[in-house]
Amino acid sequence: MFKLKLFFLSIFLFFPLYNFSQVQPTSIALNQILQKKAIEFKNETNFNKAHLFFIKNNWDSTLVYSMKQLISSKNEELMDYCHFFRGYSFREKKLFKEAQSEMHLISNKFILYPLVNKNLGQISLELKEFEKAIYYFKEVEKLPFSNNHGYKISIIYENLGICYLHLNQFNKAEEYFFKSLELQEKEKDLISLIGLNMNIAGLYYQQYKDLQAITFFEKAYNLSKKVNHFESKKNASLNMAIVEENRGNFKEALAYRKESSKWNDSINNQNKVWAVADYEKKYAIAQKQKQISVLKVENKLKDTQRKTMFLSTLGLLLVLSGGVYAYAQKVKNTKIILSQKIKLDELNATKDQLFSIVSHDLRSSVNALKTSNSKLTTSLETKNYNELDNLLNQNSAIANSAYSLLDNLLHWALLQTKQLYFHKDSVHLFSIVQQIEFNYKSLLSDKNITFENSVSKNNFIWVDLDSLKIVLRNLLDNAIKFTPENGKICFYTVETNTNFCQLVIHDSGLGMSQNTIDELLQDNELLAKKKNSEIIGTGLGMQLCKQMIKKNGGSITIESELNKGTKMILSFPKTEQNG
Amino acid sequence: MDNINVLIIEDTPEQSDTLSKVLLANNYNIAGVAQNYTDALTLFYKNPVDIVVIDVFLDGKPDGITFAETISIVPNAAKPFVFLTSSHDRQIFERAKLTKPFSFLMKPFNELEIIYALEMAVEKFYDQTNVFLSEDQDTIISNDYMFIKKRNVLKKVSLKDILYIEVEDRYCNIITEKEKFVILISLTKISALLDKNKFIRTHRNYLVNSDTIEEIILADNLVILKGNHKVNLSDNYKDFIKKIKTLS
Repeated sequence: MFKLKLFFLSIFLFFPLYNFSQVQPTSIALNQILQKKAIEFKNETNFNKAHLFFIKNNWDSTLVYSMKQLISSKNEELMDYCHFFRGYSFREKKLFKEAQSEMHLISNKFILYPLVNKNLGQISLELKEFEKAIYYFKEVEKLPFSNNHGYKISIIYENLGICYLHLNQFNKAEEYFFKSLELQEKEKDLISLIGLNMNIAGLYYQQYKDLQAITFFEKAYNLSKKVNHFESKKNASLNMAIVEENRGNFKEALAYRKESSKWNDSINNQNKVWAVADYEKKYAIAQKQKQISVLKVENKLKDTQRKTMFLSTLGLLLVLSGGVYAYAQKVKNTKIILSQKIKLDELNATKDQLFSIVSHDLRSSVNALKTSNSKLTTSLETKNYNELDNLLNQNSAIANSAYSLLDNLLHWALLQTKQLYFHKDSVHLFSIVQQIEFNYKSLLSDKNITFENSVSKNNFIWVDLDSLKIVLRNLLDNAIKFTPENGKICFYTVETNTNFCQLVIHDSGLGMSQNTIDELLQDNELLAKKKNSEIIGTGLGMQLCKQMIKKNGGSITIESELNKGTKMILSFPKTEQNG
Repeated sequence: MDNINVLIIEDTPEQSDTLSKVLLANNYNIAGVAQNYTDALTLFYKNPVDIVVIDVFLDGKPDGITFAETISIVPNAAKPFVFLTSSHDRQIFERAKLTKPFSFLMKPFNELEIIYALEMAVEKFYDQTNVFLSEDQDTIISNDYMFIKKRNVLKKVSLKDILYIEVEDRYCNIITEKEKFVILISLTKISALLDKNKFIRTHRNYLVNSDTIEEIILADNLVILKGNHKVNLSDNYKDFIKKIKTLS
């Protein structure tokens, strides 16, 4: 019988504690204080996190971050807070020893020190160190009453009562219980009131004051009907059942038992519902997880797609730009080819023109020779010997001019096809001029032209001999052509201090206008047009001269006055002395 | 002074005849006219030859070049030569160019051109360029001969025939047993070109052919040469006597 009672009591005793702890975290006052501190120590991230998790009742995280804060910072105030957090969290996790040691570490300057005491009291109670618990609770009780620190004095009284009850100091227990009852009836906290009533009932029951006990049991039972708290209902009805059982009213006892078991079922149901809800939640989470993984896979797929897309775009772009570049190149090439074609066409036209002029000239020369030869034959037949000399001279003149034309043509062709042999050597200019003149002696005497070679005998130039001869031959030929009878042609050198030797070919001929000079010296490969077929030749000779002079590293300028004469000024590199 | 001997290697008789005429007119001797490679070699070794005129193409083959190559590889036999060519063919020229010293003459050519080419060939061959046409020198000296241009005619004098050389300003009097003439060459040049062991300086103005010395009279400071030519001996140049092997 007694054993039975004790069993009940142990159930009641813990009830208020449980109840109390539920109220505590929602205490607005405590939260406000913590909030202020959090703002004050904004920079202490660990503290902030610990505080946030504390408010959210996430005890493990609170423990972790408060420990981090303790390691990183030595601020005493913050350390107190952290120890408080840790103590509280340990208590919630039922690690009472650790909770107690943490709480002891808090300095007594701490603002929430009463709360610490209260907590220590509760912890001692849990550890069944009732004497200590009473000491701590008394400390709290000593302080002026206030609701600011997040605890109710009524609860303190109740806890004191429980302690005395355990120490079997029933009078003191009764006194505190009633003090608490008085306050709690004012507060209208039904659930704690039920617990208190049951505690009082338990107190009387232990003293075998059954009647008084029953009154409080019933009171608790009646109150339990008003609340929607299955635990309280179950405990109240169970207690009633035991009471009735002890009184021998088994029928009623059975009814209470049944009610109790009904509430128990409800709790279980609720648990089941919670379990189901939990399961559903888990399922939902799993579902979500699945979705997430699917999304992840999709994302991955998209990512790879994007990558492939990007790469292919890049590749396409590359191909495109390559294509554009190739096209541009092609266009450029086409342009070059086109311009080359135009140039080639021009050159070809020039060549055609040249051929037509040359063949015409040659044809007329040969024709003249033919006519002259037939005349010669006739003269021989008729034995008109006086005519012979004249005709022969004429023939040789024609042959000479035709030969020089052909010679020029040959050299021009060689030059164009780049087959001309070119070998620079030291050349004695005076001798060369003499050699050239030698071939033109008859022509000069025919026109009674005075020829003068005043080239300095010490002049050696560094040129290709044959091309120099071609140049001089052509220029002398021209000079003779344009100089009237009894004229004068003079070759002389002008001393310069440069590395170039200036050779002047001065004739007293027709001369030419500045336009003609410019035309002659124009650096194109087109041949001058034949304006006056009698005097002006193909222009081939002049072209050849210019190219040969250029090839020899020399230059040509022309000074001329109409009807007075022309100066062709050539300059060639001198032979370097001693080298 | 002797005329220059020219060997003509030319396969066209007309052209060789013209050439011969021109050369004879300019006081050259014709050492022979060869029409092919073999004849050319025979004539070259049989007759004394000073200059060879070679046609590049003999019977359509570039045997002229082959000949030039042949005489060029024999060190002491080589003589100055001139290529005649009407071809502008580049490859042939590249080959001909390898026979250094290389001079050539393009056909057709006139009298002046061939004379010029021959003189140039001699200059190039003995590596004494710009001599005949400049105004301060007219003589080229080889190991055996002096080539002298006298009044536009190229002549030669054998060094063996020279008794002594008397220097006078830019001129040198060459005295041989038979004649005496003046050439235009500076003392520094002539002493650099002549063999120092053969032509000995006896006086500031005298170079003596040592082979012709017959007697040295130290008391009178005189050197007596072949043909009783007397040359002064100055104290500064007496050292050469030590080198001469004398019967004592």
